[in-house]
Formats: sequence, structure tokens, C-alpha cells
Amino acid sequence: MHFLKKLSVMAVSSLLTVSIAQAAEEPTPEDWFNAGHKTVVDALHLHPNKRHAKNVILFVGDGMGISTITASRIFDGQQKGGYGEENSLSFEKFPYLALSKTYSVNQQTPDSAPTMTAMVTGVKSNDGFISVNHTLVRSEPNANVINANKLTTILEQAKENGMSVGVVSTARITHATPAATYAHTANRDWEGDSDLPAGATVPDIAAQLVDFNINGGIEVALGGGRTRFIPSTATDPEYGVAGKRKDGRDLTAEWGSKHSKAQYVWNKAQFDAIDPNKTDHLLGLFEPSHVHYEADRIAHDKAGEPSLTEMTIKAIDILKKNRNGYFLMVEGGRIDHAHHAGNAYRALTDTQQMAAAVDAAVGKTNTKDTLIIVTADHSHVFTIGGYPQRGNPILGLAQGVGEAGPTLDLLGLPYTTLNYANGPGYTGASNIQPDGSKTFTTPATPGWASGSEGHTPTSYKPANGRPTLSNDQVQHHDYLQEAIIPLGSETHAAEDVAIFAKGPKAHLFHGVVEQNVIYHVMAEALELNKHQHSYHHSK
Amino acid sequence: MKITDFLKCVFCIVFLCLPISSLADSTNKITQQTTEVACRYEMSVIPHDKSQATSNTAWFFWRTPNMIQTLVANGDHGEIWQRTVNGSIQYRKLYHSDKTAVEYMPADIPTNNMNFDWFKLSTMLTQQELNALKPVKTTQVLGRNAVLRTGKTNGQTLEVLWLSDENLPASITRNDENRTVALRLVEITPLSAAPHKPIAVEDITNYRHIDAADFGDMENDPFVKKMMAADGHHH
Ligand SMILES: [Zn+2]
Repeated sequence: MHFLKKLSVMAVSSLLTVSIAQAAEEPTPEDWFNAGHKTVVDALHLHPNKRHAKNVILFVGDGMGISTITASRIFDGQQKGGYGEENSLSFEKFPYLALSKTYSVNQQTPDSAPTMTAMVTGVKSNDGFISVNHTLVRSEPNANVINANKLTTILEQAKENGMSVGVVSTARITHATPAATYAHTANRDWEGDSDLPAGATVPDIAAQLVDFNINGGIEVALGGGRTRFIPSTATDPEYGVAGKRKDGRDLTAEWGSKHSKAQYVWNKAQFDAIDPNKTDHLLGLFEPSHVHYEADRIAHDKAGEPSLTEMTIKAIDILKKNRNGYFLMVEGGRIDHAHHAGNAYRALTDTQQMAAAVDAAVGKTNTKDTLIIVTADHSHVFTIGGYPQRGNPILGLAQGVGEAGPTLDLLGLPYTTLNYANGPGYTGASNIQPDGSKTFTTPATPGWASGSEGHTPTSYKPANGRPTLSNDQVQHHDYLQEAIIPLGSETHAAEDVAIFAKGPKAHLFHGVVEQNVIYHVMAEALELNKHQHSYHHSK
Repeated sequence: MKITDFLKCVFCIVFLCLPISSLADSTNKITQQTTEVACRYEMSVIPHDKSQATSNTAWFFWRTPNMIQTLVANGDHGEIWQRTVNGSIQYRKLYHSDKTAVEYMPADIPTNNMNFDWFKLSTMLTQQELNALKPVKTTQVLGRNAVLRTGKTNGQTLEVLWLSDENLPASITRNDENRTVALRLVEITPLSAAPHKPIAVEDITNYRHIDAADFGDMENDPFVKKMMAADGHHH
């Protein structure tokens, strides 16, 4: 106890050095002690909810590793006017937590296809595989072989049990994470029929979504990826580009003809006009490909698109009409893309938005009958380092306690708290941007250039030392944090990710578990295993 | 002499040098009419720092009212911009030997698809830049009427030989504090008579399409692997 108290006093004293103005509101050593004690008292009163779940909502932050959650928590707290570190994102207040081992059958560091397959089927598989087992060869084109090796998903089982189901994402709705809930294919890139090789009989992912025929089909599918639902003879309603389907099918129209009380929407006004009480099947496709990053959504979308929170709310309002309950998967799909681009700002703002969506879901459901799980498919090589003082701007240069300016490295140069181990933020000259710091959007070059592309370099020259950074520069929303290893795209990381849970059977999450355990907890909560064989792979 | 006086002097001299006949007309006449042309350009980027190498590139440039396509002269990759029915601009990078198009989606262009400047794409200069340049003299380039226009914009000195009938530069020389960028037209023909034709849009439609935002998740894709591998560093 002495040790704890001592720690608290140290923490508080460092707080007080940060800002005299805020000091009056800062916790006293007793406050720290009492708050810590209260957490334990609350835990003593925590009673596992041993009921079965009527509803399950699975939130997946694509690439939302633990460092992303910590940095987003601080970012969010600083936006609210605090130091940031003390803040909690909505799901961080959930009572149960486990760590998830994310490797796939053939990869130490996985991608989103086998990881989501593990979460929704209970079985680990290979890279690029969407809810099929690992014994297949990659890109197996034969529909019969795929059928013989497909893994039944929790979404399919929920439908078989008379529940309603929904899939929501900021990525294309045919992208790996949402696809694994309803589709089966041995190549995650076969999202539309034009992506299939000649002679392949396995249907494309978009067709599998609309043709899904268990108990009347999927109720809600909201996200991006419009062009793979529209024939090449038609044009996109928002941008006028041609559709990508070569089979002539207009899946957006088929959605209406295949389902009862069905609606298709592609912009915010249409989305807002949907009355959940009068709509049983809603398909919303708000961009030709992925929807906007949250940071860019309002300012830049031409036709307007709903936020992840708004999509989550609409989905729940439609699904909750079913007395048998529902399964809903919500993906913050672009956290991953921002990290791949080496741009922490957009990863943090998309995580913040996903936390808001979780909060909305918690507010709209009853914790007695709804299991809510928040997790990630894998992490990213994203680090929070140095010894910045309490409240130091999370996107800023590291500045230590009592220091008058940024901390300097052994070259005498300042550095940021957030960095990447690899990716496009490497500071040598790339084939796209000059020596020094990199930015998310490549400015127009002096000759003739559209200035339209991001920074996805294909070559680098070795960096000459490090750039001299300023706070203005590194806190710019388009700044790419420094990366040690030059790569065109920053990579996923292999360390464990967190599983946060609340509601019925949430207490079954404990310890360090394999990622496929997530399925088994959901199945237990929904009592699915009572009706299924122990290995639910369909022959 | 005060700096303002000096500048006044310079302006007077520039003004007096102008061939009076073309002055009023050519600044106002720059509109966005586009003739269908096929061109070949050469560009040099010359760093003022002599320790850095000069880079030279050459490319084909094809223009129709709603399409701009380029192709690196000695390579197999290019770019295409298309103006769609509702005025949006679709942008793709083309890798012809792989029959692959990389798409840059509107949601991933923070400045928004609508901010693509069609005028600049089809003329290589913004309207503002062109307006900022003063006509100095008329001349002939490749047998066509040209106006030499000079000026300063965004901290760069600009010298442009402007083909008024084609709405295209015969040359652009930009100087800023770091480098000189010199662009030069070496070949121009009507599109219908072009020795090198652009790839047909229908053929590009049949290319494999990849959203650039997906590169990070395509680490095992042969095309993406090849793209992401360092240029010219094969051991
Ligand atoms: Zn990824």
C-alpha cells in the first residue's frame, strides 16, 4: 500500500508541474488512492451475467492494436480539454477483458481474412481465406470445393435460429472483415465478378451478400463498395464512374426484389429518411469503394454519408424488431488503412468514431440481454515512445517533465511520441516526395502533376540523418510519423490485441486466448452449440 | 532606389516590351476549349544544388474533351483522368504490361475529387497561373502560333510558350529556390493522325482494378509485391 501511495503522489506531483491553471482540479493523492480502491470495490460487486444472450454485437476495429487504443484515448481526452491519459474510450469501461492471439494457420503476422474467419467461425485459417478452412489451396476457383470446405459463420447460424443479422463497415462491405461473416471464398480479393479469374465457379463476394438466402436473407448491410454491385453498363450515382460488374447484374436492384420491405440507399439524405419500422432489409452503399475517413467525411463527401455511429444506430433499430434477437457486426474498417498510410491522425480519429459507435450501441441495448464485444483483428507497428510529460499533445513532439522544449535525440533533434517501425514515413527521399518528413497527400510537384495521390512510394534513397521537426509540422493532420524501415505501406503487427466485453457470458473472456475463442463465447451466449455439431463445418 | 521604385521600373520595362496587338486579347481568350491532340513532352528537373542529379523524363500526352491520358515514353505505365457525366474526375494509374489499373478513390483524396483541376490537367497550368503571366511576344513553335508569357506566381518565376490555338504549352520553365523544371513539347499532331495512340478506354475497363488504399492488405499479391519492391535494387 505504501508503494501504491508513493506512486500516486509522484503521479500527482508531475501533474501539478504541467499546468498551474488546471492544478486546482487535479486529484489529490487521496483521490488517486480512493479511485483505485473504488475500482476494486466495483470489481467485488461485479456479478457475471450467466444468462444467455438475446443479441450479440461484435465490434471489430480493423488494425486497432493496444497502442492505437491508448493513443486514441489520449487524443480523445485532449480534445475534451483534459491531459488525456486519464480518459477512457467507451469500451475501455467494459468489465471483462482478454488478450487475443491473432496468428493464422500460415502466418505469424496475419491479415484480416483469417482473423475474422477465426472470430466468426471458431476456426483459424490461412491468409486471404474468407470462412473456408486452411486445407484449401489459395484462390480455389471451384464452387463445389469451396462448398465442401466452408466454415459455417455465427451470422449464418443466427439466421438459422430465426434471428436477424446485420453487417456494418466503413470499408467496402465486400472487404475481408465484413465478408467473412456471410461469404465463403479462398481469395479475399474476389469481391466482384470482374475480380474472378476466367472459369471460376465460386460466386463473387458481392453476389454472395445479395444471394444469401437463409431465412429471408441478411437484414442490414451498410458500408462502401458500390461499384461491385453495379453493372458496367450503368454509372455510379454519386460520381458517374462505370460500375464493375460484367455479368450485367444490378445487385442494388436485386436487393429490392429479393427481400421483403427492402430499401437501397447511397447517400445520407436517403439514409436519414429510412424508417426502421417500415424497413426490414436495408442495403446502404455510400461510396464506390471504402467510405471516407471520419476526419474527411463531413468536409469532403460529395453526397454526404452517415457516420459509423449513425449506421450502427440505424442497424440496431431495424434488427431489434426481431423478438428472437439479432447478431450485428460493426467494423471500424479504416483504422487499418490510415496506419498502412503511416498517418496516425486518421487512425486515431477513426478509432474515436468507433468508440462513439460502441457508446451508441451500449445506449440502445440492455446489458442484461445483449453481449457486446469490442476487439481488433490484428495490430500495427505503431508505437508510443519517449518520456513526454503528462498532457503532452499526443501527436506532438515528445517534451519531458520540466523541459523547456522538446526532448532531443543523440543527433540533437526533436522527435515525436508516435512513430511507426516501418512504412511510408521513412524520411529518405522517395520517388514521390523529397528528403525529409512525408505527408499523407503528395503536394503538386512543380512540373505537371495532379497532386492527387497519397504517399505510396515504390523506392527510397537512404535517409541522411533525421529531419528537424517542429510541433506545427508534426501535429498537422496529414503528417506521416517517422518510420524506421522504408516500405510503401506500413505493416500489421503480430502482438496480441484486446477483447473487451460486457453483457451475458462476457465473463467467459479471460486470460490470453486464441482469436477463434471469440466465436465460441458468442455461440455459448446464443446457445448455438446446443443445436449444432461440435465442428460445424458443412458438408 | 527604393525596392518599390525598382519594381515599378521593371514593370514599365516589361510593359513596354509587349507587342501591343496581342496583349488584351490573349489574356482574356484563355478558355477551356480543348482540341483533341496527341503530344510528346520532355521534362528536366535541374536542382540548383549541383551535387544532386538532373532528372529527364519523356511522355506521351493525349487529350480529348473528357479524357487525359499519359504514358511514360520508354515505359509501360501511364495515367488516365476522365471527366464523368456529372463532372467528377476519375483518376487511375495504368500498368499496361500487367493489365492493371490502380484507382485513387474520391474518399481517399482529402482535397476531394471535385478539386481536381480539369483546366490544369488539360493545359498543365492553372487558370490563375496563366492569368498571372504577361504576354511578352508572339512567335512560332513547331509551325504553330505561340505567345511567350512570363511572370511570377507562388514564389516561382514562370516562363511559358503558349500555343493559343491548342490551349497547350510548347514549353514551361519554372524556377523556384530549389530547382528549375523545364517542360518542352517535342511532337504534336491531331489525335486522329497520331503515330502513337492512347490505350482505348474499353480496354482499360477490362484491366484488373486495385484501390490504392488496399495495397497495405495485399502483401502477397504478385502485382503489389512487384510494385512495392524497390525500383532497381534487385540483388
Ligand atoms: Zn491491413
